[in-house]
Amino acid sequence: MADVTVRMRVNGGPRSASVPPRLTLADFLRERCGLTGTHLGCEHGVCGACTVLLDGQAVRACLVLAVQADGAEITTVEGIASPDGELSPVQRAFRDHHGLQCGFCTPGFVVSVTAFLRDNPGPTDEQIRDGLSGNLCRCTGYQGILKAVRAAAGAPGGTAAPEETG
Amino acid sequence: MTGAPATGAPAAAARYAGTRVPRVEDPRLLTGHGTYVDDVVRPGTLHACFVRSPLARARIVGVDAAEALALDGVHAVFTAADLNPDVREQWYTLIGKDVPDTPRPPLAEGEVRFVGDPVAMVVATDRYVAEDAAELVAVDYEPLPPVVDYAAAGESGELVHEGYPGNLAGEFPGAPFEDVEPVFAEAPVVVRRTIRQQACSQVPIETRGIVAEWSAPSGELTIWAATQSPHEVRLFCSRLLGLPEQRVRVVMRDTGGGFGQKVIPQREDMCVMLAARKVPGPLKWIEDRRENLQSAGMSRHAHADTRIALGSDGAILAAAIDYVEDVGAYPVPWPVGTSAAVGMFFPGPYRVPKAAWATSSVFSNTSGRTAYRGPWQFESLARELLLDAAARKLGLDPAEVRRRNLLRRDELPYTNPCGIPYDDITPLETFEQALEMLDYEAFRREQERARAEGRYIGVGTCTYVEPTSAAVGLHATEGATIRIEPSGKVNVYVSGGSSGNSIETTVVQLTADALGVDIADVSTVQGDTAVTPFGGGAAGSRSGSMTAGAVGETASVLRERIIAIAAHRLEADPGDIELEHGRAGVRGVPESGVTLAEIANAAYFQPETLPPGVPAGLEASGRYRPEHPLVYANATHLCTCEVDIVTGAVKLLRYIVSEDCGPMINPNVVEGQIAGGVVQGIGNALCEHLAYDAEGNPVATTFMDYLLPTAAEIPDIEYGHVETPSPGPGGYKGVGEGGAIGAPPAVANAVADALAPFGAEITSLPLTPETIVALVRGGDGTVPR
Amino acid sequence: MKPPSFEYHVPGDVDEAVGLLADLGEDAKAIAGGQSLVPMLALRLANPEHLVDLRRLDGLRGVEERGGRVRIGAGTTQAAVARSAEVARSVPLMARATPLIGHFQIRNRGTVGGSLAHADASAEYPAVVLALDAELEAVSPRGTRTIPAGDFFTGLWSTALDEDELLTAVDLPVRSGRSGFAIEEFARRGGDFAIAGAAVAVELDGSGRVARCGIGLFGLGSTPLRAPGAEAAVTGAALTDIDADELGRTAVGELDAVPADLHASADHRAHVGAVIVARAWRRAAEEAANG
Repeated sequence: MADVTVRMRVNGGPRSASVPPRLTLADFLRERCGLTGTHLGCEHGVCGACTVLLDGQAVRACLVLAVQADGAEITTVEGIASPDGELSPVQRAFRDHHGLQCGFCTPGFVVSVTAFLRDNPGPTDEQIRDGLSGNLCRCTGYQGILKAVRAAAGAPGGTAAPEETG
Repeated sequence: MTGAPATGAPAAAARYAGTRVPRVEDPRLLTGHGTYVDDVVRPGTLHACFVRSPLARARIVGVDAAEALALDGVHAVFTAADLNPDVREQWYTLIGKDVPDTPRPPLAEGEVRFVGDPVAMVVATDRYVAEDAAELVAVDYEPLPPVVDYAAAGESGELVHEGYPGNLAGEFPGAPFEDVEPVFAEAPVVVRRTIRQQACSQVPIETRGIVAEWSAPSGELTIWAATQSPHEVRLFCSRLLGLPEQRVRVVMRDTGGGFGQKVIPQREDMCVMLAARKVPGPLKWIEDRRENLQSAGMSRHAHADTRIALGSDGAILAAAIDYVEDVGAYPVPWPVGTSAAVGMFFPGPYRVPKAAWATSSVFSNTSGRTAYRGPWQFESLARELLLDAAARKLGLDPAEVRRRNLLRRDELPYTNPCGIPYDDITPLETFEQALEMLDYEAFRREQERARAEGRYIGVGTCTYVEPTSAAVGLHATEGATIRIEPSGKVNVYVSGGSSGNSIETTVVQLTADALGVDIADVSTVQGDTAVTPFGGGAAGSRSGSMTAGAVGETASVLRERIIAIAAHRLEADPGDIELEHGRAGVRGVPESGVTLAEIANAAYFQPETLPPGVPAGLEASGRYRPEHPLVYANATHLCTCEVDIVTGAVKLLRYIVSEDCGPMINPNVVEGQIAGGVVQGIGNALCEHLAYDAEGNPVATTFMDYLLPTAAEIPDIEYGHVETPSPGPGGYKGVGEGGAIGAPPAVANAVADALAPFGAEITSLPLTPETIVALVRGGDGTVPR
Repeated sequence: MKPPSFEYHVPGDVDEAVGLLADLGEDAKAIAGGQSLVPMLALRLANPEHLVDLRRLDGLRGVEERGGRVRIGAGTTQAAVARSAEVARSVPLMARATPLIGHFQIRNRGTVGGSLAHADASAEYPAVVLALDAELEAVSPRGTRTIPAGDFFTGLWSTALDEDELLTAVDLPVRSGRSGFAIEEFARRGGDFAIAGAAVAVELDGSGRVARCGIGLFGLGSTPLRAPGAEAAVTGAALTDIDADELGRTAVGELDAVPADLHASADHRAHVGAVIVARAWRRAAEEAANG
């Protein structure tokens, strides 16, 4: 089957490649761009570990073919922190509130929550839970994640970072 | 309590232990820079895909790979004849080789025994092509009648494995039932139920995976694996292939959760290890989710005839459990030994004068039983359901029945009727704390009001005692190497590896405290068998306690050396030297002192300046060997819920865990482990089900059908801590598994309590909306609207 | 779980797209957001030889109100529907159904046309278009035709669309008079396909009697369904004379082949279906009565 040339901007930089049409965007990012932060947890669009921003919107990279993203602007988890490694507010909140354990689902949560809070400033607790329900985590019981999102949103119930040590 | 090691020089005052230190794992994981097995890229990597059986049981008549091999990009198609004869020795260090282990061929040989059984392995240039080729491998099957229902497997005329009559994989006679029959015969109150639990799976969000790279010139095999125990993978592989252990290196930096599933290599891992020497490049297998749900293993599936005898005052007189578990076709590891824990812990943290138990493990043509967080948790499910049923029969509140029977501190140490010597536990304290956090009496009043309005709310509890940090065999010891580098900065090496248990942070915290240095000056290297000391891995709620012991042993040697050097340089008595903030000072003389960097400089580069008898360098290895074979932890879980009796929906309202894991090294980590386990247990209770149809086809092989809880279904979890030190290092206890033990019974009892007006009795899981509606209907015979 | 190979086509306009579909015949499949199709490819439940990507058909996106109807282009994403003030105002049932579809990441890609053409019996939009008597616009090389929603869903995952026909828009009536709308569903978890669901549209006449009632059911058959008997039973009746529970029972009483799976038996689906119809009816009727 004929390969197709795709061009996109990934984390601000141009990327082009000739790809088989069946290559998913997730595999394109992982294998062709070396961006292995986009994780594959189910490959059928339920777990959310592969979530990336496509033209600013959070999508499952396993449910988009790379050819469908031709011409798009993609942001992966690697593009969320600043280039010098400074964590984004969402990432900082996850760290401050024990929002991750094994870390495998984390990129999907970070990307999803980044988009969710941008579009839903000051969410209610119910909105937060609904906004998180498209991402599965098996380690945290969601407790640290909920705290992190509340904190990042500045919403009621979100507390400041727990005491630091020293 | 501080994190003082049990032996050796006294530690500095704990500065980090007990505090919510931010995790050192997080910056890389939050930014997408972790290294999971699928992120490992080696030049020329080939990809494996398994051809799996579509039938629960069939004879393999033939395998034709010609069409697959003709496909562009396909390197090989291996069948049992290619790989299985290469197996030298196949057994797990975890279990030992002297058990009557069950069969475990790498690829199916002659007969397939469950849907998903690997029959052939395709190797191709990428996973896409490998999947194309796998579809082209033609396997000729002659279907055989499967044994799908383990509970009927004893009477089935069919055998899952030759040589196992009645499909019995093994049994444990335990303590004889005859001994308790007189008590049951005469007891004022006897409650007897057959309790059933459905099959569940661990479901780490990262599936299984392995990369194996063979170097023929050097005779070395390097493996990158998603594992909870890199050293077990190395030992296992070394035996499997007959390679010397030092020629096998296993590396894992990040593993995306395991929960038991990745505690030891399974059959697919064996295939990759065996094939690695037969292919021209590194061989990678990354399991997909469908494979994971149909082949990576099952757990929990069991039933038992359970009984409890009580006096009319509610005092427990005896308990008995006859437990039967499904072990599928290929259990990993040998399951029979673990099943004994179900019997031995069935009395739980209660005053039970007499107990009897027996277990049996039964094959079926389904996915094999694998280890899962609290593998013996059936004991708590059965006991706590029985206690609620007994309370209803006695006309007492379930809390009152527990209060009358829970062990008190003044009764410890207490040997339960199965011979388990409990100590350092606080079941009554956690129970009362949980009730107080809820305001139990207020809830009962609210429940009355709600019922009057036609709303059904309920409360359920579970109190358990849990064996942690079992120090036998593979898990008998744990090692640590600490290198204080010439600059005075510190590297600590433990087996470890990040799989979600925050062990990197724990080790850094403990080392900083033990050496009196700033946490920012400590790094840890883990998960690489080439450089880390041997260690048993993340299993059995052992990482915290055992690693604390290992760091303590090693650090005490270095402290002694640092103090000797400092005392010599400062012309002070060693007893007056204090280590703090990376500096050795003299007590009471604030202006005098020497930095760790200066001491390290002397130790490495000016050995002639060291005091007599002090060795050069600041590097040490130590190994911790506990004096106690087990450390006991305990907890009470309390759940409240509201049941929609019309649709059967359950909404959890509050979830409280009061636990005693001793002093906490890092409360964030402790609470994270509890929460993770609780939510798995809630899933086990309400929505997860690794189900099969009558023909033995798995029907939950996607995340559309295997339902994991999401953030929308889970209440906020509230924590209460009771702190009783264990006899182990720092007084720490294990906390990894308990959450998953306590949740299913707490949830089930809450639902049963909510439905008490309908006379509902819960004896099986999961509590789907449909089963709940049936309970409501069954209770009073009316159809709810 | 990697998709099988296929040839890829990206037509620039609708004519080119339907031309391709006509040329390629049954070996071709159209892909819009791909939120249903890509999982089927990954599971290799779909094996098309050709994929015709509709992403360049900009004309298929957008919401337009005209002459008492709202036309939603088939390529409009569910997220765009959720953001549309016009849809919220004029077709509230469509707006209320949207948040129930999957999760926000799915709605960012999933399209109105994709959801309807996929025709999943457990999906929300098919039930909505049935309840509203919407019209579906389809284009083929032979021209454009309009298919009443009631004729669109023909069987398990199958529709009245011909092989060379493309769903281009859905045309919905703007709410009018004293009307009320509700959609209710029962699923194991939020975002899951429903065990049972119902979309109800009701309009009252000047005297407070039911002038029109549309009930779309999902999760309760092999296709999205109407409940004609239940609709007839309430049409012409005064709101106060209608027993919602009775209506629910009537609606499920008409069903002949309620599906069963791991999540619910046929009995339980029917039981929950009756409850859900009753709950949706109460909410819709209340809104109409207050309207």
